[in-house]
Amino acid sequence: MKKKRQGSRMKKYLITLHINNEDYEVTVEDRDTLLDVLREKLHLTGAKEACGTGECGACTVLVDDRAVLACLTLAIEAEGKAITTIEGLAPQGILSPLQQAFIEHGAIQCGFCTPGMILSATALLKANPAPSRQEIQKALEGNLCRCTGYNKIVEAIESVTVKDTP
Amino acid sequence: MIGKRIPRIDGPVKATGEAKYTVDIQLPGMLCAKILRSPLPHAHILNIDISKALKIRGVKAIITGTDAWGIKHGFVETPRYPADQFVLANDRVRYIGEEVAAVAAIDEDVALEALDAIRVDYEELPAVFDLFEAMKPDAPEIHPVEIPDLKEPYKNIGGQCENVFGDVDGAFAKAFLVKKDRYEGTLRTHCYLEPQATVAHYDSGGTLHVWTSGMGVFRKRMHLSRTLKIPANNIHVHKAWVGGAFGGKIDLFSHEFCTSLLSMRTGRPVKFVAEREEIFSYYRNSQPMVIDLETAVDRDGHILGQRVRCYNDCGAYRGSGVVCIFLCWGFVMLPYRIPALDYRGYSVYTNNPVRAPQRGHGAPKIRFAVESQMDAIAEELSIDPVELRLRNARHRGEILPNGDSVKNAGLIECIQMAAARTNFVATYKKNHTQQSESDHIKRGIGMGVSAYFTGTLIYPNNSAALVQLNDDGTIHLLTGAQDIGQGAETILAQIVAEEFGVSVDDIQVAAADTETTPVDIGSWISGLTYVTGNAVKKAAEEAKKLLLHSASRELNVKPEDLDVKSRTIYVKHDPHQSIPFARAIARHIREHGGDPIIGRGFFRGLKDAAIGPSLKNAKGSWSDSYAFDVQVAEVEVDTRTGHIRVVKAVTAHDCGFPINPLLVEGQIDGQVSMAAGQATNEIVRMKHGLTVNPSFLEYKMPLATEMVENEYIDVVTEEYTKDHHFHTKEVGEGYVSAILAAIANAVYNATGYRTKVLPIHFPLEK
Repeated sequence: MKKKRQGSRMKKYLITLHINNEDYEVTVEDRDTLLDVLREKLHLTGAKEACGTGECGACTVLVDDRAVLACLTLAIEAEGKAITTIEGLAPQGILSPLQQAFIEHGAIQCGFCTPGMILSATALLKANPAPSRQEIQKALEGNLCRCTGYNKIVEAIESVTVKDTP
Repeated sequence: MIGKRIPRIDGPVKATGEAKYTVDIQLPGMLCAKILRSPLPHAHILNIDISKALKIRGVKAIITGTDAWGIKHGFVETPRYPADQFVLANDRVRYIGEEVAAVAAIDEDVALEALDAIRVDYEELPAVFDLFEAMKPDAPEIHPVEIPDLKEPYKNIGGQCENVFGDVDGAFAKAFLVKKDRYEGTLRTHCYLEPQATVAHYDSGGTLHVWTSGMGVFRKRMHLSRTLKIPANNIHVHKAWVGGAFGGKIDLFSHEFCTSLLSMRTGRPVKFVAEREEIFSYYRNSQPMVIDLETAVDRDGHILGQRVRCYNDCGAYRGSGVVCIFLCWGFVMLPYRIPALDYRGYSVYTNNPVRAPQRGHGAPKIRFAVESQMDAIAEELSIDPVELRLRNARHRGEILPNGDSVKNAGLIECIQMAAARTNFVATYKKNHTQQSESDHIKRGIGMGVSAYFTGTLIYPNNSAALVQLNDDGTIHLLTGAQDIGQGAETILAQIVAEEFGVSVDDIQVAAADTETTPVDIGSWISGLTYVTGNAVKKAAEEAKKLLLHSASRELNVKPEDLDVKSRTIYVKHDPHQSIPFARAIARHIREHGGDPIIGRGFFRGLKDAAIGPSLKNAKGSWSDSYAFDVQVAEVEVDTRTGHIRVVKAVTAHDCGFPINPLLVEGQIDGQVSMAAGQATNEIVRMKHGLTVNPSFLEYKMPLATEMVENEYIDVVTEEYTKDHHFHTKEVGEGYVSAILAAIANAVYNATGYRTKVLPIHFPLEK
C-alpha cells in the first residue's frame, strides 16, 4: 500500500523499543509501522514485507510472546512490550530447536516466509507445547508459503512438539 | 553424498533471518525509485511534462522513454520475433500499468509526490482484451506484425508455431472414436513472496552494481548490457538470495532498467521495490490458454492422430508467449505415441499485461486438456484409465518426432507403480459406482501423465565452474548458479563432496556473482542440475586428478591405486598408507611453480546443435533428456457447497536419479500445492485490462490448512557414475501438470462432473 504523506510532515516521537532483550531508542512518526522501524531504522531485516497489508504473515514477530503482524502494528504501540524478532531466536548463534528442525526437515526453500513461519510456530508452541496437526495448520493459516506446500513445515514443527511419554 | 537427504546448506542463514534478499539491501545515500504507469490500456502518448515534478525538493532524477535510446527488448529476440517492447514507453502504451516514467527521490513520499506531479497527455485508442476478438480482422491493431507462414486472416498474431507429421486425415478417417473438446486455463499468477526488487549503484569507476530478485545473474547482465549500452564487464550483478520466482522473474523488467539508469544519472545507489498490488496488476502473470483438442483413437484406445490448436493471450507484448506455444507442442507429443499430428499454436497480442513463464510453461494447461480427454476416451471405450495410458505411453528408447530419444524413459514403470500404490483401478470403479446417495461428500481418484524437458539452448546456453582447493584441504566451489529456493547450491556442493569423498561442510560455495563466478545457465528452463551439475562434476574431477597425481608422487604409487576419504588420500590396497589433502596440495604448489589446484569444468546440453529448436516449426533437437511422471489425486467434493478438497497426491516420477531426495520431495510438495490452487481456486480476474483482485486476500493461494498429503515414488532410470557426465532429469516444474489433470479427473470420478475450464467450478443444483 502506498504510504503517501498527506499535507505537512508528521510529528516525531522518541520511543524505546525492547527488542530481543535489548533497548533501542528510536525516533518515529506516528504512522511508522513496527516493520518499517525494525527493517529500515534498526536494520533487523529478518522480518519481511511481502504484502504490507497483513495478508501474508512474512512480517510476523512476537510481541509479549504472541505472534503479531509487524506491518499492521504501529511502532509507538509496541513501546514497553517485549518484542522478539527472528534475530533474537538464536542467541550466541545457537539455533532454537525449531530453527534446527526447519533446516533438517527441508522446511525451508526460498526462505522468505521462514522467519515469519518460525515465529508463528514459536508462539504456538509457547501457548500449546503439544498441538495436533490441525492446530499447527490453523496456527500457520496466516503465513503464506508458495514453495513448500507447507508439508515439511508442518513436519518440522511436529518434530519438536511435546510427545506423550508412554 | 549423491542420493543422500542432506539438509540445504543455506538453511542456517535463512532460519536466522541473516540471509539478505534484494529487498533487504540498504546502501548509504540510497534513493527510492518509483514508476509511473499508464492508466489506459491503449493510447498514444502525446506529451510528458516532468518540469513540475523535477522542482520538488528531494527529487533527484526522472527518466522517460526519450532517455532510453529507443531500445527494445524481448524475452525472445530473433529475426522472426524481434524485440517488441521499449524499456520505457515511447510514443504509445498498450496495457494498463505499462511503464511511462521513473523517479528517484530521497524517500518514498517524495517519489510518490513526484509521480503525481508528472503530467502525461494521452490520446486513447480502441483496446481489445479478449484473444478471439483480437484475432478478428477488424480488431484494433496492437502491433503491425507479419507472420509470413500464417494461413488464416487473423490479426494481432505475435507468433505461430506449426508442426505437422504423419497422415492426419487418414488417421481421423479410420478412427473408431473421435473426441473433440475445447479446454480453457484461466489467468493465474506466481505468488513469489519476495516482491520484485532491484538495487543499483553506478560507482565512480564506471561499474554498475546490481542486486535484483531474478533467476539467473548472467541473463540479467546480458539484458542490462544491451538496454543500457554498457559492456558486460562494467556490469556487476551481485548475489542476493531470491524469495521465490516460479518463472516470474526471468525476463528483463522495466524496473531493473530504470533503477540502473537512475543510479547512472544520480551517481547514487537506487532501490526499487514493487508493491504487491503492482505485482498482481501489472507484472507478468502466466499464459492463459485456450486449447482445441481433437483426438482419433482405434477400438483399443490407441491414439491414431491428433489435431491441436493452442490460442495464447500473450498480452500487449510478446513476452514468452511465442515460446509457450512451441512448448505446448512438445508437451503434447512427449508422453504418448502419436503417429500423426497437426499442431498449430498462436500467440495473440491483446491489451492485457505481458505474460511470463510460469512453472510448467504451458504444460499444466495442455496436459490438463489431454489427460481429461484420455479419461473420457477410456470411459467411452470401457477401458480402464490405467490401461489406456499404458497402451499409449512411450517406451524406453523411443524416438520423438523431432529426432530426440526418450532414452531410459521410466514412464511405463511410473504408471504401473502409481496405479499399484493407490489400488487405482479398483478404487476408481468403486467411486464411480458406489458413491453414497446420502453423503454430500463425494470421493474421487484420478490420474494424470506428464513429461518435461531437461534444459535446452537459450542464452546463456552453458555453465562453467571452478573447484579450488584450499591449503588445509577444504574446497571452494565457484559457480554462477543462482539458488532461488530449489537448493541449487546444496546439490552442487553434494556433487563436489561426492567426487572428493568429503562432507558438504568441507565445501564453501561462492555463487551467482557475474564478477567472480563463471557463466551459468540460470535457474530456469529446468536445466540447472543437469547443465551446471555436470560442469561442477567436471571441475571437481579435474581438481581431483591433480590432487591424486600429487599424492601419487608422495606415496610412490600410481594415481589409479589411490582413493579419497575424509580429506585424506589413501592407497586402495593398503589404506594405512595415506596423506592428508593438505600435504598433496602443498606438494603440488611446490612442484608446479606455485600453481594451486584449480579444476575447471564446463557443460552445454545438445552439444552438436548450434541453436535450440525452431519456434516456428518445432524442428530440431530440444533436450538431452526428458523426465516423466504420473500423479494420482484423491479428492473430496462437497456437493452442497461445491468445495473441492485435494486430500492426497501420489507422485511416481522418473527424474533419472535424485541427487537429494529431501529437496526433490520439496519440489514435488510445492508443485502439488500450486496445482491444487490452480485446480480449485486461483484466478487473476481482469476487467477491461485491469486486475480486480490484486491482493493475497482476493487471490486465494493455498493455505497451511489446505495442505495436501504427499507420497513419492522414485523411478530410478539413471545413475551417477565416475568419469562420465550424468543424466538427471528435471524435477522443478514438471509436476504441476499431471496432478492438475488428476484432480480434474478425480472430481469427475467423484461426481460425474467433467470440467473443461480451470479452476474447477463445481455446479451446484439450484
